Amino acid sequence: MSDLTLTPVLSPPTPVRTIAAKDIRDALRDRFILIVTGFLGLAALVALVTGAIALRGDVATYEAAKASLLALGKSADAIKAPEFYPLRLLRGAIEQIEIIGAAIAILIGYRSAASERGRQTLSLMLTRPMRRWQFVAGKALAGIGLLASGLALVLGGLALILHLMSGVGLTSDDLLRIAIVWGVSVAYTACFFLVSFILALHMKQSSHALLVAFAIWLTLVLVAPQIGDTLDPDNQVAGGVFKQLNIAKPDQVEIMKGFATFETVRDGIEQASVTKHFERFTFAVLGIKATYAGLPLGPILIEMLGNLIWIFLTALGLGALALALPLNPDRLAKA
Amino acid sequence: MIRTNRLTQSFDGVIAVDALSLEIAKGEIFGFLGHNGAGKTTTIQMLTTLARPASGTATIAGHDIGTDPLAVRRAIGYVPENVRLYDTLTAAENLIFFASLSGVAAPERRVNQVLDLLDCAYLADKRVGGFSKGMRQRVGLAQAILHQPEVLFLDEPTSGLDPMGIKMLRDLILRLNTEFGMTIFMNTHLISEIAKTCTSIAVLSHGKLVFHDRIEAVTARYGDDAALEELYLSLTPVGRLAEVA
Repeated sequence: MSDLTLTPVLSPPTPVRTIAAKDIRDALRDRFILIVTGFLGLAALVALVTGAIALRGDVATYEAAKASLLALGKSADAIKAPEFYPLRLLRGAIEQIEIIGAAIAILIGYRSAASERGRQTLSLMLTRPMRRWQFVAGKALAGIGLLASGLALVLGGLALILHLMSGVGLTSDDLLRIAIVWGVSVAYTACFFLVSFILALHMKQSSHALLVAFAIWLTLVLVAPQIGDTLDPDNQVAGGVFKQLNIAKPDQVEIMKGFATFETVRDGIEQASVTKHFERFTFAVLGIKATYAGLPLGPILIEMLGNLIWIFLTALGLGALALALPLNPDRLAKA
Repeated sequence: MIRTNRLTQSFDGVIAVDALSLEIAKGEIFGFLGHNGAGKTTTIQMLTTLARPASGTATIAGHDIGTDPLAVRRAIGYVPENVRLYDTLTAAENLIFFASLSGVAAPERRVNQVLDLLDCAYLADKRVGGFSKGMRQRVGLAQAILHQPEVLFLDEPTSGLDPMGIKMLRDLILRLNTEFGMTIFMNTHLISEIAKTCTSIAVLSHGKLVFHDRIEAVTARYGDDAALEELYLSLTPVGRLAEVA
């Protein structure tokens, strides 16, 4: 005789935590998640190694030129030694997070919602004593947790490789900058996770949601930032039009006044893309953009605060939207 | 225990459930018969709070499905027609998840108890991805009774099962009803199962309730299974079935 006659002790359930823990366990057994995380890590590593090889090439060229000058009995002061900012080698990795990381976030977001719809497990979950927003919050928490862990692995691994490779090692300031970039990367990829998750939860057919999410990714990640760059008048000549023509800063400002409307539209296109904000912020913090190389962190963060706010507000706004939209169980019962 | 008052649902202007009024007493095993598309699953979806009725009301164990859905969900267990579980997780992990969602305080212990009751403790550590329909149905039943609900909703529970599976499920349903006092609401196609399991039956045709009575009264009036089948067919005319098909 079973002792089921003992009535189970019931306590207030914690559905958000329970769903998040189940989703993480489920995802960690999913080869797809492991493969895409590994792919991002590999792509970032390749970018880092490529950067390191390029730097080594610069150093070799410098050494060869220096040796030639010294052999001719001349001073080597005339040629500038290449600067080595180890964090600048993360440029490729940041670009991979920007493009591939966002695409992976879309796939995870889609999987998070579509897998429940496809397996039709929602009816079992939604007949439990929990509110619909708790289901959404649990799924979102797991997805963002997975992204955060994957990014921590990738950036942590790269930091370790940089530390070993640079010879001089990374300072605590460098590590802080990498940690900040990790946090912002989580918020950035969370935006794409949430877009895909919301679409896959609410569109009539979840497969269409993936197409729409990738159309949004294409626009925000690839098209808008490129339009902004391509249409920048100063970018029309390598090294910058104004610099090549030796036009002084006050004259540049005067010239640009004639393009005010054009510049507003161009800048508006760039500003609309969360990717551009992510790129501006991370390139500044890591000193990838030459203007910021060697600058202390404080002033950079103050200058880049607008970009930071934009990224976090986008993520929070999408999170609020995911929680606020009412779930349609009838629709969710169909893949 | 279950009371519906003119419960109605429609999809794209087509009425799926038409002003359904029912009363099912505590401890009953209620068989809900009807042709495909009659509105049986839609009725269960409304009563389990998965879908909102277009109009009308219903209470489960005294809780209104519209105004107090959380209390309703605490009082019910639900087994859908095709039990879908998380294939990458084991049976025990699936059940611990659902037990935790229901607020069961010691989910591991409870899962073991329920698996023992259903004679399927051997399934505990196996991933459900490789389970047969019968195994899934048993794990599906297990997830529904973890929190010992007052009312158990079963949507075509015998669908796709072999005769042995059907008998095993029938015995379990009877045991849950007699030993644990669960009220059971069961959608079914199998008229033969009705007589063996249910204490009352109702027939739904094109969303309308066309028959509702206690099983003793039905068997006294119509006799054996064959007569019951005739009754069912007379209530859901072939012409109307063809229209649905």
